[in-house]
This record gives sequence, C-alpha cells and structure tokens, in this order.
Amino acid sequence: MRKGRNVTLWLGLLLTGLFVAAGLLSLVWTPFDVAVLDVGSRLLPPSATHLLGTDHLGRDLLSMLLAGASVSLSVSLLGVGVALVVGVPLGLLAAARGGWVDEGLMRSGDLVFAFPWLMLAILLAATLGPGASNAVLAIAILNIPVFARLTRGEAQRLWQLDFVAAAMLAGKGRGLISLQHILPNLSGPLSVQATIQFSLALLAEAGLSYVGLGVQPPAPSWGRMLADAQTLIGTAPWLAIVPGLAILLAVFGLTLTGDGLGRHFRRGEGA
Amino acid sequence: MRLFAAFLALLAFLLLPVAAPAALRDTLRVGLQLEPPNLDPTSGAATPTDDVTYGTIFEGLTRIAADGSVQPLLASGWTVSADGRTYLFDLRPGVQFHDGSPLSADDVVFSLSRAIAPNSTNAQAQALRAITSITATGPLQVRIELAARDSGFPTLLSLGDAVIVSRQSAARLATAPVGTGPFRFVEWRRGDAVSLQRFDGYWGLPARLSRLVFRFIADPNAAYAAMRAGDLDLFPDFPAPEVMGQLAADPRLKLAVTPSEGEVILAINQRQGPLSDIRVRRAIALALDRQAIIDGSMYGYGTPIGSHFPPQNPDYVDLTGLSPHDPAAARRLLAEAGHADGLDLTLKLPPPAYARRGGEIVAAQLAAVGIRARIVNVEWAGWLDEVYKRHDFDLTVINHAEPYDYEIYGRTGYYFGYESPAYRALLADLKTAPDQAARHRILGDLQRKLAEDAVNAYLYQFPHLGVQDRDLADIWLNSPNQMLDYSRAHFTTGAAAAGETVQAAAAVGGGGWLLLGVLVLLLGLAVWGFGPAYVLARLSVLAGTLLAASILIFALVQVVPGDPAAFMMGLNATPEAIANLHRELGLQGSIPARYLDWLGGLLRGDFGISYTYRVPVADLIGERLALSLPLALLATLLSLLIGLPAGYLAAVRQGGWVDGLLSWIMRLGIAVPGFWLAILLVLVFALGLGWFAAGGFPGWGAGIGPALSALVLPVLALALPQAAILARVARGSLIETLHKDFVRTARAKGLSRGQAIRRHALPNAMGPVLTLLGLQVPFLLAGGAIVENVFYLPGLGRLVLQAIAQRDLIVVQSVVVLLVGFTVIASLAVDMAAAWIDPRLRDRGAS
Repeated sequence: MRKGRNVTLWLGLLLTGLFVAAGLLSLVWTPFDVAVLDVGSRLLPPSATHLLGTDHLGRDLLSMLLAGASVSLSVSLLGVGVALVVGVPLGLLAAARGGWVDEGLMRSGDLVFAFPWLMLAILLAATLGPGASNAVLAIAILNIPVFARLTRGEAQRLWQLDFVAAAMLAGKGRGLISLQHILPNLSGPLSVQATIQFSLALLAEAGLSYVGLGVQPPAPSWGRMLADAQTLIGTAPWLAIVPGLAILLAVFGLTLTGDGLGRHFRRGEGA
Repeated sequence: MRLFAAFLALLAFLLLPVAAPAALRDTLRVGLQLEPPNLDPTSGAATPTDDVTYGTIFEGLTRIAADGSVQPLLASGWTVSADGRTYLFDLRPGVQFHDGSPLSADDVVFSLSRAIAPNSTNAQAQALRAITSITATGPLQVRIELAARDSGFPTLLSLGDAVIVSRQSAARLATAPVGTGPFRFVEWRRGDAVSLQRFDGYWGLPARLSRLVFRFIADPNAAYAAMRAGDLDLFPDFPAPEVMGQLAADPRLKLAVTPSEGEVILAINQRQGPLSDIRVRRAIALALDRQAIIDGSMYGYGTPIGSHFPPQNPDYVDLTGLSPHDPAAARRLLAEAGHADGLDLTLKLPPPAYARRGGEIVAAQLAAVGIRARIVNVEWAGWLDEVYKRHDFDLTVINHAEPYDYEIYGRTGYYFGYESPAYRALLADLKTAPDQAARHRILGDLQRKLAEDAVNAYLYQFPHLGVQDRDLADIWLNSPNQMLDYSRAHFTTGAAAAGETVQAAAAVGGGGWLLLGVLVLLLGLAVWGFGPAYVLARLSVLAGTLLAASILIFALVQVVPGDPAAFMMGLNATPEAIANLHRELGLQGSIPARYLDWLGGLLRGDFGISYTYRVPVADLIGERLALSLPLALLATLLSLLIGLPAGYLAAVRQGGWVDGLLSWIMRLGIAVPGFWLAILLVLVFALGLGWFAAGGFPGWGAGIGPALSALVLPVLALALPQAAILARVARGSLIETLHKDFVRTARAKGLSRGQAIRRHALPNAMGPVLTLLGLQVPFLLAGGAIVENVFYLPGLGRLVLQAIAQRDLIVVQSVVVLLVGFTVIASLAVDMAAAWIDPRLRDRGAS
C-alpha cells in the first residue's frame, strides 16, 4: 500500500527467479547425474552428500528437483506462450471485426470452457502418445480462450477511445490499428493474466505428469516424482513432501508476481 | 461467523462415525487391482474375470491341484483310449447350478459346443477346437473325441474358459453369472465391488465364509491405505512392493509372498533390423543385471530366471548362467555385430509399476553398454494395439502371467516375432510325448532352446505379493492354477472385528427425474422472468453447443487408437473371436452412421450400451452421479462457506493486517496441488489419527452417516483450493464495488459502512462469484477424477478415466456430452441468478 514499495511483486519475482535459476542451472550442472541409477543407495534420508536424500531408484533428490524445475517451467511456459500467440490475435480479430466472426470465436471459446479439460488431455495423450509436447498442447488449448477473451474485452474498450477514432480518420485499416494502437495498450493486462495463467499451467503440468501424461521418464518432473513417492510416504516422507513444496512455492511465487504486477499497472494508471 | 460455526457443528454431527454393528467374522473382503469387464469367463480372456468367478462361481470338469497335477472336479473321473484321442468323462452326481437346475451331460455338451462354435468369443476356442465331436453317452457321461493325441487336454479343461454353464443362464453370464461353485453371485457395484454369497446347495463341502467381496483398487497408494485402514482382509497381488515392509510391521497383517506362474521378460521384436541379429539380443541379455532389476523395481521380491519357465515347476531348468551380467562381453558382441558406436531402440512400457520402474532400470543398464533405449509409457489399450497387435516396438517389459505359456513361442506372427521350426518341432513332440519322463526331457529342451536363441531377455519370476489379515486361514492352497481357492478360507477369531453391513445399493432411478424436474423449474422461472424470446435464444445456443460438443467428442474418439474388443479379449484371443465381438458390440458400421445412431439415442435419452460392462451407459452414469453429484455439491457448499466469509472479511478490512494475512493464505491455498493435499489428508486423518476411512464408499444404502463420513476427506481435498479461489474473487469483486459511486452515495446518505456494504455493495459484487460457481460444479464433477483416484471413490471422473483406458468409448462420449450440458445449463442458471440480483441486467434481458 505504501508508495514505492511493492513487497508482493519483489517477493514474487525473487521466488520465481529462484526457480528459473534452478532450472537453468540444471541444464549445465546438477550435484549428481540423474540418468545414473544406483539401487544400492536408494531411499537415503537427507545427509551431507545428498542434501535432500535419494529416491526409490537411488537418484539424488536435489538433482531431480533442479532438473524437474527446468522441465516443469519450460512445459508451462511453452503452453502459455502458444496460447498467447494464438489467443491474442483471435481476440484482436474478434474485437476488430465484430459480428459473426466475434460471435463464432466467442462461442468456440465457450465450448472449450465447457469441455472437461482433464478428459480432453487424456484423450489427446491416448491419441498422440503421452509426452512433453502433448502436455504443452493440452495447456495451450485450455489457455487460448482465456487470452482471446481478455484481449477482446480490452480491445473493445480501446476501440471506443478517441485516439483510435483519430487513427481511423487518418485512414488506417482495422488490422493496422489493432497492431499499432490496440496491441501495445494491452501489455499491462496481458502480462498480469499471463503470469496468473503461467502459475495455473504449472499446477496443470504437475497434475498431468502426476497421472503419467506429462514428460516421460527418465526425464524428471515434479508431478511424477510425487506419484512415485506416494506409496513411500511412510518410509521416506521427504520424497512426497519436497516436490509438493516445490510446486507449491513455484506457483505461489508466480501468483505473487501476478498480484504485484497488477498493483504495479494499476498504480501506473492512477498516477 | 455465527452461521459458519453452526454449520460446522451440524457437519460434525452428521459425520459422527456411526458404530458398525459387531458381527460374526465370516465376510472376506479381497482387494484386486483390476475390475473384470464382465463376469463370463467363457467369453474373452480377461484375467480379472477368472480372479472373481473361477473356482468361486464357476467350475470345470477338471482342476489343477496344489502340487500341479490335474484332478477331477465336476467330473468324478475319466478314461483315455489307447490312441489318446477319445476321452470318456463321468460326471459327479448331485451337482446343481445356483438357479437350482441339476448338472447333466447335456450341460457339458452345451458348454463345450458353445466354446468351439464358429461365432464363439471364447479366448481358448482355437485350442478347444482340437475337439472333433462331443456326445452325451448317458445322463452323467460324456464322450469327447480329439483330432490328435494331446496329453495336455485335461489341463486345458481346467481353464476358466472351459467351465461348465447351463443352457438357460448362458446368455446372461456377463452380468448375472450362474455356475456350480461354492459361491453364488449377489451384486456388482461397477467401479467398486462384486459380492458373492455362500451357495447352500453346493455339492461339495460348503464354504466356511458366508460372504466374499472383491473390491477393485489399482492405485498403489489407495491399496496401501485400504489395507492399513482395515478396509480389506486380503490383497493376493498387492501393487506396491515398496510398502511390503511397512505392511509386515502392522500387527494385524501378515505377508504371504508366493511364486506365481508369471515370467517378467524384456520382450524383443526380432522381426527385422539389428534385433534380428542373435548377437545383439545376446548382448542385451548380458547387459542386464537381473538382481539389480529385482531389487530396484520389486524391492527384492522375485527370482531370477534364464528362460520362459517358472522355477517352482518340477520341470524347471536353471539357465541364468547362460546370460550372466557381463557389460564388457555385451559391448564386444555389439561391436562384432557392427554397432560399436551404439544403437537406438524404443522401449515401450505398460502401466504396472513393475514395468515402469523396471523399464527405467533396464534403460539405464542398456545405456551402460551403448544401447540408447528411449522410454515410451503406454496404457494397456495402447500396449495391446501398438505392441501386441501392430508390433510397433523394439523392446517392452511385460509379465507373462499365464501358466504353461511356453506354447506362445510356437505361434506364427506372435508379437515378438520368434519363428523357429526347431522349437515348433519340440512342441509337437511334447504333445505326443508317451510318458512323464519324456515330457520332462522335452520341457527342458524347450527352455534351453529359448535361452540359447536369446529370444527375449528373461528377467525374473513374478511373485504374488500377498498381504492378509493375520487371522485369515486356509487360503494359500491351489496357487499353481493362478486362482485362489476360497472355499476353505475362514477367520480364526470370531466376533471381535466389525463386519461390513452390506445392503443393496439404493436405486438411483429417481436421480434422472429429479434432474428433469430442476430443468423444468429453471425453464419456467426463465420464461417468467425474461420472456419466451430470450429463453428461446438461450436454448438454441445451448442446443448448438451440445451438438458441436457431440460432433467434436465423437470425432476425437474415432481417432483414438486401440480396440475395445481386443482389450476385452486379452492376450490369447483369436482374430475371429475379436471379429465376433465387434459384431456383438455394433462396432462394424460406418462412422457417420454410428454417429447418427448414437445421437438419435441421446435425443431419446438412450445413451447406448457400454462395450465393456454390457449394461446401459445411462445406468452406469446414474450409479456414478449418485456419488459424484453430492460430492461436487458438498465441496462447492463448503468452499462457499469458507471462501465467501474470508473474502468478505478481507475486503472490508482492506489494507489491514487481517486482509494481509487472509490474502497470503488465499495465495497459498491456490498454489496447493489438489492431489497432494488429498495425499496429506489421508496420511494425517486416515492413517495417522484414524478418524476417517482412507477411502472407498459404502454406498448410500449403507446409511447416510457412513456414506457422508466417507466423503469428508474428499470434500475437503476438493473444497479447500476452490475456497481459496472463491475468496480471492469475492475479495477483488467486493473491493472494486466498494469504490463505486453508489456505495459512496449510500454512505453519504447516512448508512453506516457495514450497512452500505451489506445492502448495496454485496449484491453487486456477487456477479463474478456466481460466474465462478457456475464453472465450479461441472469442474468438480469431472475434475475430481484425480482426487477420486486417491480415495478410490467410484465416481464419474474415474468412470471416464477407466473407460478411456479400456476404450469403452461410448461411455466417454456420453459422459463428455453430459458434462458439457451441465456446464452450459449451469452458466444459464448463473446468468439468471445474476439478473435477479442486479435488476439492470434483467431489464436488458427482457427488452
């Protein structure tokens, strides 16, 4: 609330940054190689060698967690990215053209919203085979109508404003106006929404890989680590608690970032 | 706040654990991983069908005894002619079927003729067609002629596929099985349990148990929880070796790990490419460390094998020495075969943990010698289609559970593609073997041949990981024929434990009428409030959405690979049996014709017949909705009761510490993965404190108390994340409204802050909350699937997951359309409710 301090945003960015850094780090270095199984040293509790212990196949949990971060983050980010790239132009089109184009696009969006998403994702996996690309696709499909709707709503509002009318008078076409005048003014709401959707995508990715539809082994993923750890919760509780906490904190960080961004943009408008 | 407290009190009252009546301990509750698709062992080859019905409901002429020998069962004995082609079976007198009709020679002729008929869907039809004639030579005597000598014929007759059924009941065996066994069928709650009752007219010693209940729990965690919570007395094949140690430590339980007839192999597709080279296959066998695979994937349970034969069999030969763990030798062989720089292969893994976990270890071991195996996880239907039928794989890990299945290596076109005339000659010799000694020698040769040809990489013998109540006795007899003998099983302690109160499930026929009533009411209100034109417009949009959804889902389902018939018929089915089943299921028409057929049915309220269960889809959905609808509604109610007050409180104290605290809790609540929360709830409240059952649903017939008590943890797991979302939306919407002019005007008018909020801001802020609610109920109906899985509740979500896995696509289609319908109707209801609260919208609607 105090001017000049946006604790939510900074804490959110810090948490998110931490996870992105972990993911990036895992691409070049992890404490142990996650491709090497050592059944002899499985289910070790946290120690100086294995800071978070080892899993049911003797892999270092910390290394799995780091590598899982890059997988979970990139699948979610890609899914939301694809949805942005497809959804925003559709929303701009609907706002610019109106009429049956608008009606048709929005009704299709309603249909996607009404469709049971988990079942759609499972059918997709049954058809295309499970895997990272399938998870990206499922997340994108879920998010396209979200961005299309938001873009349309905001764009419709902007079309009523004077500077757009001025551009019309200057003889610019509707497509050009959408790109030159409408789109740049959408960056605020879109970035807030994208952050929120990113956090939801992270949860969705965890759910998908928990039921075995996400990225395939041996590539680690948080959701599957949880699924693997579930029955071991009595003997090796850290295996179920650590990945769950990782998901929780990553989503939490993104939620904070989204809230912080929202406040940031609102304050910008108010000033 | 007071209202909330009152609700909590009410909830606590409703959920008071209802004491189960003490009863004599004569009900055995058995956990099985897989639910049978139907209860007819003579059609299809689903192992779960045998698990439930063979030896309990149905019996054959012969049986396999505990020592592996063939013994008479419904036959009191038999004689074989000198040329080995004519069998004369004498039937046991005084045997009667569960419907009271006596067993006669006619029933045997009928049963076996039905199995070998041209339109038979019997999985062993091909083997049984060795029979050239079958005649009743007396009221209790049958003569069977074979095309050729077959010393294994009495063994064949002991299979579940060859049980004796009666002519009157044969058509309804799939859903209402009638046999001659010690137990008779009572009821089948699909997705949950099959119940059997002792048959008092049994010809032999009557069963000591009065009731036998099979519950179907595939999820390892749910199985563990059920066993620990005392919801089950026996799990013959426990799905999670990793917790056997913990189960053994439970004083009420004991382990019974016994060898099975199953061999876990790394099957190799040797049709072409590098894998047709025996050096490469040998290299694979040498690269694998069997003990590490057993330790890693089975936690040490399992015995290494070197060929396709179980070690407890008297004819077993230990051939593990032919392929020791020797990575250096493996590398040399690979280099010799021209793959010094490695090899890229695909490793497809079916769902069970032994395959998935074992596959990861196999891949890592292969990588150590330069073979890069790319793991592809597939579901069972996908495995049957891609691996078993289309041979689109290089490697796969699979447990061949059937006894005496060395004959699969003699089949042409079998999935791993081993075509060896020498092996087939050995099999032919075995059939005509004159005596036991010759059989023993030939069986040894068969094993050696498979190991020398390195057909597949043989990993270990699969164990039955049995877990049972300590007081359960006389159950582990007769394991060589894959089935358990329950007829002698009993509990050594009497009345102490709580018995299951079993009542018939309440009829759910009323549910449909209730829904229809709600719809009519909704429509009436809409016409009254908004005028017919508006309602007509909304209804046409609704119809359009449903039509589009039906086309979309039907199209989607058509491209899903996999065949429901192949799934139901299992590994040993012949193509013609599958074709017969296709005809039975109505799967042979063109795609548009089948769509119109289905759509026409939907319009008449007929959802079609489930492929796997063979009962109307509408009945299946009704049964599941009886659980899922209350679950979704209760979760929504609870989330409202938590979310709205929290959102309200945060909004009116905006910026204060209450708001700050609540906002942080809301953000955390949103970030919690629902399934993780479910796992933690089970851990704390079921396993730790023991307040609630770990899962399962007794059915509404068991009384409102026990049923609601089973829903507490699932409702919490579903409601808490939703409550966080609701609270956030409510807070945001209310804060926005508070800054609007009319609230300021109300304040200026002299209303207190509280009055202004309650009378003016609150109603206006409800819009977004209602919209969210409209999406929430359908979301919880479908999206509860994962939570349903954790608590093994037979709900709608799990029905669909299972239907997709079994390719029971007509169920998938219908449920999806139903859910879309729910969503659209809910949004209609929300729009109207919003209009009610906000008159501006109503006026716009009416004009």
